[in-house]
Amino acid sequence: MSDSKGTILIVEDEAQIRKFLRISLEAHSYRVCEARLGQDGLELCASEKPDLVILDLGLPDMDGQQFIQRLREWSSVPIVVLSVRAMETEKIAALDAGANDYVTKPFGIGELMARIRVVLRSSEGAMSAATVFEAQGLRVDFSHREVSVDGTPVRLSKKEYELLRMLVRFPGQVLTHQQILREVWDAGRQNETHYLRVLVGQLRHKLGDDPARPRFIVTVQGVGYRLALPAQR
Amino acid sequence: MQRTRDIRNPLIPAVGATRAYAGAVGVVIATVGLAFVVDRLMPHASLSLLFLTGVLIVATRTGLGPSLLASVLSFLAFNFFFTSPYYTFEVTDEGDVATLVFFLLMAAISGNLAARMHREMAERHLSLQRISNLYEFSRRMSSAAGTEEVLDALADYLAQALNSGVEVLIVNDRGLPESRARAGQAMSAPQPDIEAAWSEEFRGPFALGACHFLKLVTSRQRMAMVVIHTDSMDAEQVRLARSLCDQATIALDRTQLVADLEQARLVSETEQLRSALLSSVSHDLRTPLASIIGSTSSVLEYGDSFSEENRKTLLETVLGEAQRLDRHIQNLLDMTRLGQGSLQLRRDWVDLNDIIASTADRMRDTLDDLSLDIDVAPEMPLLWVHGVLIEQALVNLLDNAIRFSPPGGRILIAARHCNDRVEIDLCDEGPGIPDSEREKIFDMFYTARDGDRGSLQGSGLGLAICRGMIVAHGGSITAHDGRNGRGTCMRIVLPVIRPGEGDTA
Repeated sequence: MSDSKGTILIVEDEAQIRKFLRISLEAHSYRVCEARLGQDGLELCASEKPDLVILDLGLPDMDGQQFIQRLREWSSVPIVVLSVRAMETEKIAALDAGANDYVTKPFGIGELMARIRVVLRSSEGAMSAATVFEAQGLRVDFSHREVSVDGTPVRLSKKEYELLRMLVRFPGQVLTHQQILREVWDAGRQNETHYLRVLVGQLRHKLGDDPARPRFIVTVQGVGYRLALPAQR
Repeated sequence: MQRTRDIRNPLIPAVGATRAYAGAVGVVIATVGLAFVVDRLMPHASLSLLFLTGVLIVATRTGLGPSLLASVLSFLAFNFFFTSPYYTFEVTDEGDVATLVFFLLMAAISGNLAARMHREMAERHLSLQRISNLYEFSRRMSSAAGTEEVLDALADYLAQALNSGVEVLIVNDRGLPESRARAGQAMSAPQPDIEAAWSEEFRGPFALGACHFLKLVTSRQRMAMVVIHTDSMDAEQVRLARSLCDQATIALDRTQLVADLEQARLVSETEQLRSALLSSVSHDLRTPLASIIGSTSSVLEYGDSFSEENRKTLLETVLGEAQRLDRHIQNLLDMTRLGQGSLQLRRDWVDLNDIIASTADRMRDTLDDLSLDIDVAPEMPLLWVHGVLIEQALVNLLDNAIRFSPPGGRILIAARHCNDRVEIDLCDEGPGIPDSEREKIFDMFYTARDGDRGSLQGSGLGLAICRGMIVAHGGSITAHDGRNGRGTCMRIVLPVIRPGEGDTA
């Protein structure tokens, strides 16, 4: 399997879901290994060293959060979580525990593939540590702290730049309110989401982003924000 | 629930006998005083008339005893002060003896008369009081809304009328009597006595231990039992107790009937709702499933002979129908949560722009050839709401608007801020909703008759959910005329509040 795009571990107790995931992922030239239980999943993580883990939050033997915490003790392998709808708190908890992104069940395969690509790309990106980010006319120069939209320079305040840099560092990946608040402000402001709402509004305004049809910053209702990528649409 | 009440008995006049005798002595003393004055002005013989008047006054005011006392005292005083030899009790004149006899006779007759009059007056007063009490009691019985009220009133009136402690027990679920109401100085009767009395066929009243027992038996069952804490009851009291209990029995029968009817109404409403839910579930879950099963089996069986385009169309149908199924299940779940009152608001600061954007985003694929305009006024305040729920409400509204829009129609979402509230309008160019149905559409399982595009008929849950979610936020949702007289505008009004304000859920 020299042309494999990488190994993906599926931890999911539903055989039907594992089946269609395996077929689709293998068709996209990923190598796939499966685990029905969380414990097996953790062991496979150690033995197979996957490049990405798809984790169902409702496992029969252990809590999804528990799985993430135990995996994160020794591994930084990207995790995409599968969760049932109407469980925002569960999603947020998983993201805060160290999951990289989530897909809500029921989901289309296209959506999952997009998430997988985004997460794999940004985990590679984190390693290469590029000095310039460029997508859809948005250009962020990290070394000079310069931002421009469609070639026009944009002046950002310190916090606005921090927020943008965070979103750009994990392009396409959802960041929870808590993660952003912790990073851009400090630990004491973790529940003051209205600061964040206002800051996002200001940043959108400066980037010329239409909140009704955002070009750059997408709101994930009840969870957080992500940077829009063309691949998502 | 048990109640104890202090009862003052209005039926027995509380005039002390000592006071009556003291009054008699007082009247005699006053008569003596008056007689000394009159003695100077009038002939001696008429003095006895003065004393007689005094005796009569005492007799009419009190009874036989005090009037006899007054007559003896009057005679002695008359004899002592006004007959010769003065200041002795000796009687020399025969006329004076006659006076004494007259005094005693007068006193006995008038005292008797007065006493009888008093007794009759007291009786009349008592029966009047009783009648008005009975009237008041039957008024309370007929107006009593529930069993509790009937039992409380019964205990109160019995305790008042019989001047003793009363306890009322009512049959519980296990068919045993259970203490419910008390009045007067009522302690609990011993349990064995209660049980023995309860199993007794006789309705009562009958005595057992230190109590009298009476049972309330309706046409259907032994309902309740009254325990009267008294050793003896006279015929009048028995009659009274029985009549009070009979009235209470009728009232109990009535309240029971009302409760049964209410229960029956509730059951039938629940039944209706359940059958509506069942038919909605079976219809709305089966319709997409029929398309899914049909399309997939077609592809599986004959897929090889289909053109690539047809295969794709069928598979797209499967996907679309599955998504519809998912939305319907979500609606059912939401409805259940709203219905159980277990919907928890997790309020947070939310930008209305974000909510509208993600609403539009979620429904973009269903828009087809419809155009969606969004017009949010600038300077919109952040909302302190549970964003996901508001989004769901908007999605349901937009889903309806899309369903009822004519091909190529326009849908508008407009939001503005006025004072302490935010108004969100969602307008379509569909057939509109007649005035008479504008409130009904928010009822569960109500679906508009006209204007739907055939199979796109909904479950009738969407708007009910919408209203539930908006009302949980202290807002309102109403249907209005569309713009330029076409279609419908659904208007959501949300109060602009800060954390800690108006949070009820």
